[in-house]
Amino acid sequence: MDGNTQTLSKPKRKFGVNFNVALILILIALIAIIGAVNPTFLTYNYMMSVVVKNIMEIGLMALPMTLIVITAGIDLSVGSTMIFSAIAGGMAAASMGEGAGILVTLLVGAACGLANGLIIVKLKINALITTLATFFLFRGIAKGITHGDSVYSYEFTTYVGNKDIAGIPLVLIVFIAAAVIFTLLLSKTGFGRSLYALGLNENATRYSGINADRTLIGIYVISGVVCAIAAYFYLGRFTSVKFDVANSMNLKVVTVIVLGGTSILGGVGDMKGTIIAIFIIAVLNSGLTVMDIPIDVQTIIQGTVLIISLIVYSILGERAKRRRIIEVGKGGEPRLAGQAPA
Amino acid sequence: MAQESLKQTAGGTGGFKKILTTEFYLLIFLVAILVVMAIAAPDFYSVNTIMTVLNYFSYLLIAAIGMNIIIITSNIDVAAGSIMSVVAIVIAFVGKTGAPLPVFMLVGMAAGLILSWVNGLFITKLKIPAIVATLATTQLFVGALPLVVEGSIYDLPASFTWLAFKAKLFGVLPASVVFAAVITVGFMLFMRYSRFSKKLYAVGNNIHAATLTGINVNKVMVLAFVIAGPLYGIAGTIIATGGQRVTTTMANGFEMTLIAAVVLGGTSIAGGSGKIIGTVLGAFILSLITPAMNYIGLSSDWSDAVMGGIILLAVIVASISTLTKNKKVIITPETGQPGAIAAAAEVK
Repeated sequence: MDGNTQTLSKPKRKFGVNFNVALILILIALIAIIGAVNPTFLTYNYMMSVVVKNIMEIGLMALPMTLIVITAGIDLSVGSTMIFSAIAGGMAAASMGEGAGILVTLLVGAACGLANGLIIVKLKINALITTLATFFLFRGIAKGITHGDSVYSYEFTTYVGNKDIAGIPLVLIVFIAAAVIFTLLLSKTGFGRSLYALGLNENATRYSGINADRTLIGIYVISGVVCAIAAYFYLGRFTSVKFDVANSMNLKVVTVIVLGGTSILGGVGDMKGTIIAIFIIAVLNSGLTVMDIPIDVQTIIQGTVLIISLIVYSILGERAKRRRIIEVGKGGEPRLAGQAPA
Repeated sequence: MAQESLKQTAGGTGGFKKILTTEFYLLIFLVAILVVMAIAAPDFYSVNTIMTVLNYFSYLLIAAIGMNIIIITSNIDVAAGSIMSVVAIVIAFVGKTGAPLPVFMLVGMAAGLILSWVNGLFITKLKIPAIVATLATTQLFVGALPLVVEGSIYDLPASFTWLAFKAKLFGVLPASVVFAAVITVGFMLFMRYSRFSKKLYAVGNNIHAATLTGINVNKVMVLAFVIAGPLYGIAGTIIATGGQRVTTTMANGFEMTLIAAVVLGGTSIAGGSGKIIGTVLGAFILSLITPAMNYIGLSSDWSDAVMGGIILLAVIVASISTLTKNKKVIITPETGQPGAIAAAAEVK
């Protein structure tokens, strides 16, 4: 607060680290409380087969969605993309064999992402609108080609959906690998920096020589591909899927990301927050079940957690902004803080 | 004057182009659907089918008008569906006692108002973006309902379903359609003549400029939600009274269709533009899709895909027309005659 420019970057970093620490503390507290009430929760078997497995598809999709939200975009079509690619792959596998199923799933996911990206970037249509329309479109095509019937798992999906390697579910291994890749991608590469830049000021970023179009289309394609990967596990886990099973998945993914501290307005956020938030939601969902708390209360608790985190982020964000204004102003007078624009 | 300039930005540069608005294209599209139906499936024009379409149209439109007003202020409400679900259960409680329509509908409107007001306060007081704020409250509303009610409220008396089965103007026209007509006309007049509606557009267009001109931005935003609430209440009442059983998930997810109707109607999600008449056309087109596809022999399995496709097509057409318009503006200075096109437009 002394107006020294050297401290300019300090509070920002501290704030980020603090928040992830707070999230981890919340996670540990939740596990401790739920474990104390019902020790079965803490058994390795329950942790792996229920707590972790139930969240992994959402977790996978939350990783690329974090990139998208950081660029001030959003992808509401993730659930539909996953179901569409699962269904298209399942049908292809049934008629043309395993290989076709695997390939079609991946291609459909990538194509969905590419369609989103092209419409958003080339036609300059708001991401919310585009992905809202494709939410209906992809789900609708899935419904149309199946006539509303179920599509069944095939050998490959059954294998990946249920495989444990050394007692660790395959899906968790894939998730950890993806989480590491995405964390490094966002925090250690120029590509990651350009995403923040796009979220903060798209025009300025374009003038700075970054190929904004290619970057943006790229992250929507990545999102589509990750949805397709999640589709393998989802189809394998449930043995059959219908077009409407993932209707609210998009909002669940958004919940995770917001809880993880990524601003929906873009430019702020990190992958570690999202990853911790995934496990908080997982522990809440499954933990409340072992405590015999009805599923409806779980929804309320999840909503309350989201609201509290929003309020905390809002207050902290407001404070950080004021602090920055004081420092930039170099006056350091507390008056300035009061005059900070809302 | 303000109205005039709004029209210009929305509709083109004048003369013939003034007619070529989003609403005009939508109307053409709507007429085309109706003509195709008349040729391909004349059975479609039976009283029963038309009334079913109109009934769905009525509650979709009533709620979509509320959503339209919220979107004009550049907010969004993804809690609309869950609010309507809450309204449905609340009025089922009241209606179970044999209370008449006016009583439980007012209760429903009040419930909608309160919940929507909470959303508005949440967004303005805590400065949380509308999409995440309403996403959070959705979970509270959806989660709270099954705690109060187990599954559904059933065996509702005839006084409860009166609106859907007995209340018909001239013996055919559902009363819900009359509600929708009155509300639509009321809001069209309101948006055209009230001073407050100008503030809605101003806030949506440029929130900082609106603040500087002395508009209480937060109040306007909260009021937009407060206006939408009772509309959700009426829509929820029409949905709930459609049968003798009211479930806790009756309108969950309906917000997506509402947003679709508003966007199809030419309202920009960025706020600051959009007309009620566009929403009317958008809602009407959406309510035609499923029944029309049934009659024409296409499987209604494809209705979701068609709906998504239509929304996408509508926004793409709108975007391309603005993109080409922007190009024209850029070309002007290069021709060495700055403002030539703008001047030409004024002459027309």
